[in-house]
Amino acid sequence: MNRQVIEPGRDVLNLPVESLELKLGPSHPATHGTVRILLSLDGERIRRAEVEVGFLHRGFEKECESGLYYQAFPYTDRLNYVSPMINNVGYALACEKLFAVEVPDRCKYLRVIASEASRIADHLTCLGACALELGAFTAFLYAVEARESAWDILDEMCGARVTTNYVRIGGLAQDAGPEFPQLVRAKLADVARLLKDFDDLLLGNPIFRERMEGTGALPAAELIGLGVTGPLLRAAGVPYDIRRVQPYLVYDRLDFDVPVGTVGDNMDRFLVREEEMRQSARMIGQCLEQMSVGPVDIDDPRIRLPGKGKVFQRMEELIAQFKVVTEGPRAPVGEVYQAVEGGNGEVGFYLVSDGTGKPWKCRARSPSFSNTQAMSRMVEGALLADVIPTFDMVNMIGGECDR
Amino acid sequence: MAARVVTVDRKAVEQLTGVLGIPATLRGLRVTSTHFFRNLWGWIVGRPQVRTVMVPEEHDPKPAAFRGMPVLVAMDNGKERCVACGLCEWACPVDCIHIVPAETDDEVERYPLVFDIDMGRCMYCGLCEEACPEEAIVMSAKVEISAFSRAGLLWHKDQLLTPVKTLERRLEHIRNDYGRR
Amino acid sequence: MSDRVAEEGPEGAEAGGAEANPLLRSLKERFGERILAIEAFRGDATAVLAPAALLEVATFLRDEARPAFDMLLDVTAVDFLGRRPRFEIVYHLVSTGDASRVRLKLPVEEETPSVPSLVPVWPGANWLERETFDMYGIRFDGHPDLRRIYLYDEFIGHPLRKDYPKQKRQPLIGPGSQGEAGGQGGGR
Ligand code: SF4
Ligand code: SF4
Repeated sequence: MNRQVIEPGRDVLNLPVESLELKLGPSHPATHGTVRILLSLDGERIRRAEVEVGFLHRGFEKECESGLYYQAFPYTDRLNYVSPMINNVGYALACEKLFAVEVPDRCKYLRVIASEASRIADHLTCLGACALELGAFTAFLYAVEARESAWDILDEMCGARVTTNYVRIGGLAQDAGPEFPQLVRAKLADVARLLKDFDDLLLGNPIFRERMEGTGALPAAELIGLGVTGPLLRAAGVPYDIRRVQPYLVYDRLDFDVPVGTVGDNMDRFLVREEEMRQSARMIGQCLEQMSVGPVDIDDPRIRLPGKGKVFQRMEELIAQFKVVTEGPRAPVGEVYQAVEGGNGEVGFYLVSDGTGKPWKCRARSPSFSNTQAMSRMVEGALLADVIPTFDMVNMIGGECDR
Repeated sequence: MAARVVTVDRKAVEQLTGVLGIPATLRGLRVTSTHFFRNLWGWIVGRPQVRTVMVPEEHDPKPAAFRGMPVLVAMDNGKERCVACGLCEWACPVDCIHIVPAETDDEVERYPLVFDIDMGRCMYCGLCEEACPEEAIVMSAKVEISAFSRAGLLWHKDQLLTPVKTLERRLEHIRNDYGRR
Repeated sequence: MSDRVAEEGPEGAEAGGAEANPLLRSLKERFGERILAIEAFRGDATAVLAPAALLEVATFLRDEARPAFDMLLDVTAVDFLGRRPRFEIVYHLVSTGDASRVRLKLPVEEETPSVPSLVPVWPGANWLERETFDMYGIRFDGHPDLRRIYLYDEFIGHPLRKDYPKQKRQPLIGPGSQGEAGGQGGGR
């Protein structure tokens, strides 16, 4: 009998070869976000990957257009719901640019503290989820415990951990109390301690390193062409951080490092995010030192509510309260774009005003959307297992991506 | 004061792994066992070191700023402080407040005949509290709402009225902010 | 759009800022008539272009302008219902070197809502243009894969157009649906 020896890699039998179509998601345990990745597989290799988004589309823009300017704040919380404060701040800054007002110093510092605490929470979620999805459950628990501490800071500021609704046009919903700096320092110490444990447990781990190193990289030029911003772009060596290149609020008064990577693979992205958390903690410390007591709201009853102390006693302020609540502050005709550095990159708000109390258009430029688009390029040609760490580092946040 | 660009240290990660990953493994074991023994000791002496809270038997302490569900302030005579001006209804982004005003012979002249909040839609944003010129609607510390039907999530005035005594903490907190502009 | 600047009153003074902006000036010099207007409201450099000039201006901004506007941040549209032209397609560009920004706007008529696609210049325009198509029904000529991105294919209409009612209901599709407006409770 003539036995045929089948060598690997040689198709003696001429069997028809077709690629395996695999649908990863929309609710896959290893993707934290509702997204579907359609994979064309050749064995373990990915021939083609197509990302489908939109599972969390809630019509953010339509909702904003139908409400007054100040009524959009709760909706901005729900864009990137892991770092809601940054969206609050971005939207407020866009409105303030439109209204041409500037908030007092204390307000700026508090906004920076809120943003940076949010960034810590955002990165902890991203890194923790990454650890979890690569099998390191304990590391995830440390990260989430640390995130609780970061959220405690937000909780103390605004009374909510995720649905913050803290920033207002021309001010803040409330001022921070006298014990606030002490609490923040204690919570940041907790974060630093747990972050150290997280590092010790995870970073040196050979399995973790093998899955992260050399996977998901794209050259910087391609990332720029795809509109990728944030830690993903910085990991590829481009120091585009809006806090550095176009400082808003008080970032020009703070001393901080912008970490960049060299290779741009998942490991660099991980390390960039870790370092950013340390820098955020450093910035918060500086803010607490530089901050002084003073007003947090602008004194303009046409834009910011006049404060209840006056509303209760004086007719004029009571009328202003009625006007601001029912008609909203009237914006001048025009359009503005304002960007802030979010957890995943540039969060921008584009407002078009027709001169009434409602935005004619309120557009959120979300980093997750552009970053997720680049995802398919990052995994094409890679192994199936590389999808998970790459997706983790792209850190697609459904609310922000789908709006 | 300026931002510096620094490069992350990949070499350091290599060193953490060490020969065959043995130092990394030992370090990991040290971390987990430290946590284990600290938590165990905390449990023995009754001072837990973990953040886990056994909801609903126990709750985390809430900060003074905490925003739970909006409720109506009931004065000592049991009546609402609300004068049915409708500002909260205007301010609410999701239109979940419904008020029917009526006249009364009291000195406030107006009161809400109907005051409903659809808790199924309310997102605890606090804009109603901020808009209210009478300190009549405030965010309580309550968060637990559940019902067997959507209709059960529509809270009426009698359910929303909360004695002013139990809202003291919140009222004090918002009063701290009154004079700041 | 110059009518807008005229309406502004006190802000109108800023229109002079557009002439002072070297980038906008150089665009105007180079492309002449095809730059329909330049604005600088609140310091945001804006150029209104004829749609036919888009690809050329975009390539110029990416390759030759200094600083080079190498990243396309955002593509969206604005619906000015009742005005002619009805739509405006808005592009936001940034230079990753020093974060200088420029906004390009293309007026588009309602009857022929189509503009050239920017995918050949920035691959990142792909999803952004799909989104604009999905939400406003603007067609991008030369786009490799112009499909809806957020909504499903059976969706009727384009929700961010101003004449699309906010509370409009769409037929439920998929297994188990009766093919008519459904959903309980919730929306008002
Ligand atoms: S908390 Fe917000 S959503 Fe709830 S009733 Fe008040 S304004 Fe409406
Ligand atoms: S704003 Fe206050 S007083 Fe006015 S209707 Fe609402 S709860 Fe009543």
